[in-house]
Parts: sequence; structure tokens; C-alpha cells
Amino acid sequence: MEELIISNDNLKKIVHELLNNDCRVIGTTAENKFKEIESADELVLNPGSVPTGSSFKEYFFPKTEPLFFYKQNHSNVDLFDPIPDKSKIVVLGAKPCDAAALPIISKVFNWDYKDDLFNSRLDNSLIIGMSCHYSDEFCFCNDIGGSPENMKGSDVFLKPLADNYFKVTSITPKGEAFIKEYQKYFEKDLGKNKPIERKVENPKHFDYDKVKTWLDNNFENKFWDTAGEMCLGCAQCAFVCPTCHCFDIIDEQNGSCAGRRAKNWDACQFSLFTKHASGHNPRDNQEKRYRQRISHKFKYYMDKFDEVLCTGCGRCSRGCPVSLDILQVVEEINSLPENSNSIQ
Amino acid sequence: MNELKQICKDALTEKKARFIIGYKEDKNKRVKPFIAKTPEDAEKLTFSHHAVNNLAVYLSRFKNNIDGKIGIVVKSCDLKAVTALIQENQIKRDDLFIIGVNCSGVVLDVAKEFNKDNTQIKCKYCQAKTPPYYDALAEESKEFEMPDDDQAELMAKIDKMTAEERLEFWNAEFEKCIKCYACRQVCPMCYCEKCIVEKSEPQWIDSSSTSRGNFSWNIIRAFHQAGRCIGCHECERACPMGIPLTLLTRKMGMVAFSEFGYRHGTSLTEPTLIGTYSTSDKEDFIK
Repeated sequence: MEELIISNDNLKKIVHELLNNDCRVIGTTAENKFKEIESADELVLNPGSVPTGSSFKEYFFPKTEPLFFYKQNHSNVDLFDPIPDKSKIVVLGAKPCDAAALPIISKVFNWDYKDDLFNSRLDNSLIIGMSCHYSDEFCFCNDIGGSPENMKGSDVFLKPLADNYFKVTSITPKGEAFIKEYQKYFEKDLGKNKPIERKVENPKHFDYDKVKTWLDNNFENKFWDTAGEMCLGCAQCAFVCPTCHCFDIIDEQNGSCAGRRAKNWDACQFSLFTKHASGHNPRDNQEKRYRQRISHKFKYYMDKFDEVLCTGCGRCSRGCPVSLDILQVVEEINSLPENSNSIQ
Repeated sequence: MNELKQICKDALTEKKARFIIGYKEDKNKRVKPFIAKTPEDAEKLTFSHHAVNNLAVYLSRFKNNIDGKIGIVVKSCDLKAVTALIQENQIKRDDLFIIGVNCSGVVLDVAKEFNKDNTQIKCKYCQAKTPPYYDALAEESKEFEMPDDDQAELMAKIDKMTAEERLEFWNAEFEKCIKCYACRQVCPMCYCEKCIVEKSEPQWIDSSSTSRGNFSWNIIRAFHQAGRCIGCHECERACPMGIPLTLLTRKMGMVAFSEFGYRHGTSLTEPTLIGTYSTSDKEDFIK
């Protein structure tokens, strides 16, 4: 297939057309936030920017969504399905650490029960990823199989070139169809626009296999007594995370004899998360809950789905109110002896 | 060795405190909460313009299961939370070893240097750089010229809005809420063992992050802070969505002062505003 490039202006023209075709366009703005944009001018693609405060997962797995509505009808209860959202979604400017999260969480949403709500959004979406020219002390994508140029999860991938151009790579049939549909905006790459060099390095921090082996053998270890000691038990980390996918199901009344059953984001750092109806809580302190967070990300998900439940974006650490840094915790695990018999 | 480290080391050696809740600097130079349990741990303790956390939030976690005093490093704003917890009978003064620190302001953005443009709102109107009481005092008192209190201007603007405009303003802000409850978890005054939002029989507040659920959560939390918020601004700092929560809590603190002459967390002996009444209290809100 011939090599293609596109100018930033033409990309905006595509966005303009998409918006006119009732497509939802999720892109990064001047404030460096993902948002459903209303005009192509709002879109700002900056490969050098820090990952946005929140990931774009809410457009696939919303913070709250109805599963059904109910209404009492004399002695019966009528149930109503929510109107499915079939609109097309195009995500523009996803960093590799964001785009990679979708195929990861897709595995849990298709494990035994197939989550139609998630799947229909993913099926109706097109992810345009972009290589990343940023790195800070919280980034660690390359320690867990990612990279600033990783195309996992993207349908089309952009790499910045000189003079506001992007090199375009189509990755999936969906991506190819997209390029074909909008081919008038793409140009043949004649090599005139040189690639913009990445000026930051991504140092190697830990050996994932070593960390996994340690986690396999050290569910009980005094390390856990201090790892999550200062955690306050909020869900900032989980809710800004592109891969955290836990949810709660609740019934919510609205007016008399009517309401909805909803699926809401939930998080393992809440004490209520594992509290049984009996009152017993198997994870009855923050240390145990923090162990769960680390183990789910770096062990259990790997055991079950052959993926690390983390893309190394560093959001959880950048925003943590008590500066708990997941990378430093994993680095510490990496430095521990494999079978430390330090059980207290 | 600086003064803070020495004080804490001595306190741990002489068993004046069982452990000390303080700050340490991590390898990325981030200043974060840390518990020093041994005199050696005290070497790691530090204080700077980047020591933003109000450590009083940890007191509720330890209050019932410690043999000996809890040591805690506090700025003057944080001490108000300690005082408030004592006033609200959550902890006893005698169970604490308070290490006060002179503070000349803390940063808004922890990734940047402390300067005029990177100062927390609370510091701009802070009246006491030195905590009013303590068992030991560390850090030098430094003068720092504070920028103008721009939040007061915004509050005046909101005051002038009509009820409909205010509703619109807050609806737009609360729309952002994702119900991560970081505001509640960092708040030293949010110590309820079961938060009202967790009460499901009956459900008092929608737990969903809908417009209605977000609005009721944020307004109820604000109401529960009326006359109780001590103004550490931790809720706003912790909010990942950037909701200006202290506009509400600060306003209520101002009302508590203008209507009742009361400021929470400023006296160990004064009864709390919510916990008492006076026959001279105004009743003009009952119509």
C-alpha cells in the first residue's frame, strides 16, 4: 500500500465532515482534555503533551449508564430497554497508552457475558492514534510491552512530520475503509516532510516478568503493610485509568413507582467494594485493598487474560492526592528478593 | 540535621510519640505523606513549600488502635483540623504529640516551584504562619509576599448572580464530577464511618454520577461542612476534575462567621457551632 500523509488542516476538514455526518468526535482540546468536540477548530493535536487528566474510556464505558428502566403498572412491573446509542465514534489523537487500553478491557467485557453496551460502542468506533513525544517520571509504557509508537488499539496511526503534517498508517480494515472514504484529503508521501524527532527518552524501570513472579509468590508479605499505607481510599486512580473497568449495579428510583437499573463506575480502593451483605469485609483495610489494585493490574489480569491491566500512562500517579506512585511501588517490588520469606 | 528531623527523632526515641505522621520526599522529589515509626525513619522526614497534604486526615484511621501518642506534623491550617477533631470529640488532645511547622505558603501545582503564581488560595488569606499551639515547633518563619486573594473576587461575583445563574454555574461544575470521592477521602472532617451516599436503605442520594446524583452529592457534602470546614482546601486540590469546591465551603465558613461569629477549629474549648445553640441565635431563616 502506498505511503500516505495528511496535513493538520485536512484532518480538520475530515473532522468537519464527520461532525456533519452526525458522528461523535472525541478529541483533545487546547486545555489538553478529551472532549466530544463540537467544531473542528476545537481539536488540538500535540504529540508532546502530557497524557490528559482523564482517559477517554468514558465514551466506551460511561461513568453511569442505564441497563433498563422500570415502571410499576398496577400489580405488574413494566421493563423498558434503554435506547441503544448507535452513533459512530471517532477518537482522534489517542496516545498509544490510551488506545492500547481498549483491546485490553475488551477482553473482560467479552469474557463470559458479552457486554453489548461496550461492544456496540467499540464496533461503531474508529480510533486514530498518534505517536507520543512526551515522557515524564510517571510514564512507563515501554516497561510493560507498550511504546510511544505502539499501534495497539488504533485503527489509523499518525506520526508527526514537519510543517504540520502527519504520516498515516492504516492498521485495521476499519482504518483502511476510513482512509478510502476520505481519500481526497490524504496525499502521497513524497518524503518532503521529515519526521519530527522524539526528544525525550523512555528509561527502563523494571523487569515485568520478575515483578510477576514476585506477585505470584508473595500474596502474604510485609511489603504490603507499607505499600498502600498512605492511600486514602478514593477512586481518583481508578476513574482516570484507561484500563480500570470495575462497575457497580444499582437500582435508582425516579419519581414514584419508577426508576432505572444503572451500571456505575466502582473502584477496588473503596472499602464498600468488597463488603458483604453479612457485614464481613474480606479486604478490611487499605493495605489489602492496595495489594488488590497492584495484583489485579500486574498479576491476575495476566493470569486470566494474558494482558497487563495497565498501559503505563501514569495518570493515577500524577493525580493521586497523596502522591502514591504506582511506578515506584512496582520498582520496589522489582528490587525485592523473589521469594522473600518476610511473612510477618 | 535540621530541626524537624531532630525533634521527631527525639520524640520517637523518648517515646513521646508512638509514630509520627509527617512528610518525606520520594526519589522524584515529590513531597508526600509518610509515617515515621522508628528514630531512623525520622531521618526521612521533611517539610517544604511542597508539603501540601493536610495530614490530620489520617488521625481518624489511627485514633482507636494505638498504644501511645500519635505524632503529627502540622501547618497552621492543618492544626485547625486537629483542633476541630478534638472539639468534635473524635480525638483527645492528650493522645497527640503535635509538631507544628512555620509555613510561608504551599504550592498549588506540586510539579512546579513555589512562587506567586503557584500558591494555594488558602495561603493568600492565611492569618497565621505559626500554628497557635504545639508540643514542638520546627522550621524557620519566613516572610513571603502573598498575591491577591482572587477567589474572594470570584465569590463576590457569584454572590451577585441570580439564583438561576448560580444554579447554572454549579450545574456546569458538578456535571464534571465522576464520584471518585477524593474530596471526601482527603477531608479530615469527613470521618463518618458510613457516608450518607453509602446509605442505601433507603437510598438518600443517587449513587450514580448523573446530573441529579452529582448535584445532590456535592451539595450535601457542602452542607455537612457548614460551620465545620476548616479551610484546608484539600478537597479542591484532590479533585481530578477541577471543580472549585472551596467556593462552597469557604462561603459557608464566611456565613458561619458573619451570622454566629464562629470559626471552626480555632478553639479547643469553645463548643462547636452545630453542636450547641444560643437563645440569642437568629431565627430569621424560619419563615
